[in-house]
Amino acid sequence: MKKIIWGFLVGIVASCTPTKIVVPLEEGKVQVGATLGRPQINTGSLPLLGIYAAKGVSASTTAYGSAQLSSALFGAIQLDGGVVKGIRPSQGFTPGFSYSYGGNLFVSSRDFATRIYPEAGANMYWQKGPHILNISANSWVDPTWFLAEYGRGQILAPSFGAGYRLRYKWLEFQAEYKIVNPTREIQVPQAFVPSTLGLGGRGFYWGAALNF
Amino acid sequence: MASCADIGSAMFFGGEGDYDFSNDNLDAAYHIDESKIHLFTVPSDEDTIHGLFLGDFSQLENDTIIYYLHGNGPSMDGFWSTVAVLANLGEQHRYGVVMYDYRGYGKSTGNTQNAATMAADYDAVLKWMEDRGLTSDRMVVMANSLGSLPAGPAAAGGSRITVEKLIMEVPQSSADVIIQNATGLSLPSSMITEYNFDLGQNMEDYPGELLWMHAQEDKVAPVETARGAMRRHTGSYYREEVYPDVGHGLRWDIGNDEWTRVIHEFILH
Repeated sequence: MKKIIWGFLVGIVASCTPTKIVVPLEEGKVQVGATLGRPQINTGSLPLLGIYAAKGVSASTTAYGSAQLSSALFGAIQLDGGVVKGIRPSQGFTPGFSYSYGGNLFVSSRDFATRIYPEAGANMYWQKGPHILNISANSWVDPTWFLAEYGRGQILAPSFGAGYRLRYKWLEFQAEYKIVNPTREIQVPQAFVPSTLGLGGRGFYWGAALNF
Repeated sequence: MASCADIGSAMFFGGEGDYDFSNDNLDAAYHIDESKIHLFTVPSDEDTIHGLFLGDFSQLENDTIIYYLHGNGPSMDGFWSTVAVLANLGEQHRYGVVMYDYRGYGKSTGNTQNAATMAADYDAVLKWMEDRGLTSDRMVVMANSLGSLPAGPAAAGGSRITVEKLIMEVPQSSADVIIQNATGLSLPSSMITEYNFDLGQNMEDYPGELLWMHAQEDKVAPVETARGAMRRHTGSYYREEVYPDVGHGLRWDIGNDEWTRVIHEFILH
């Protein structure tokens, strides 16, 4: 179990939060949801809980904000927020596109150390009725990479994911597979961090949300 | 938030210990006479620490003692063969060796939690040796992996018997490095633990002699960051031995001959 707890470290790995909004909400619509992340470590994974809220502020723009509850258990306040903008909707087999940008805030409750990581991402999706398939790419930016010890910092921390969403009236279910931080080896002492083709870490994410 | 969980406790893999220290599983070259195997206990705060001394008690008064701080295994059981080799460096029963289980490891009571418990356990066993005559000029501290966490602050001035010779075998580097290697972000360790160890700073503050041994392919304590920490040492003597194509189990990978050669040369230096 202790080794699995180390999975928390991987859980807050860059870009390891799930993609919350792929297709912008209709203007005025509000979505409130919870996410369950399962970053893998050894042969298990640790459930990482988060909550979020999003609102369609225009026909093509949705704003969101979220909090990672599991981080709080270990003494880190982890919040993120941003917007998702639609570029064009999906039509038949022609995919739709959207992009996002925002930021992530970490504050230690022990010494109030603070880090802010901007992020940006892009989504390609196919929507057929209530079904949404997506492929997403995202990257966090570490403006304080130079604070990492012994030159181990990196400016960009990318991730790639593929998912499925069922958005039906007032309910939405989400499932996503992510490859996180493929540009470096994720190292956790005395633990094995599974990867995809030797790239970074990986995890499965689920979400459920209500639409108002 | 003051009561939030501390992931530091997850770093410590303490477990059961049988303390069946016999020669059955040892190469004949490293056998220890049964008369030289001594189990002992010492109090550490409210807990009881179990230790193992190999040698004659007279050695504590007048001979070199290797104070071995074991790695992150469940108990001293897993390090029995290692201390047996150390006791027989150069010739049979050449050195006295002391090892103990941190709180929560083996039969030691309580739980290892942070720098304070690590330091208290280190000091409790060292006092046991001091009471029996050990002095600074005859003590060699050898730390394996996790053992580097109490060894670093001790060498940097936190030891009741001044550390003059220190061997760091596959040490970690800092708590910050652990979270940064796991996340890829410039996060400080205070996000998840209060145990903010910093062996690089400890080595800067340590004036004595240092031998650093490491494995190039170490996945538990990455060599790059360990090198960065150990090379901050500015003391009286420094030697490093980094072995290619081997992992964290250094002694098993490079063999006893090479392992003992380097350690014995450093002790005799």
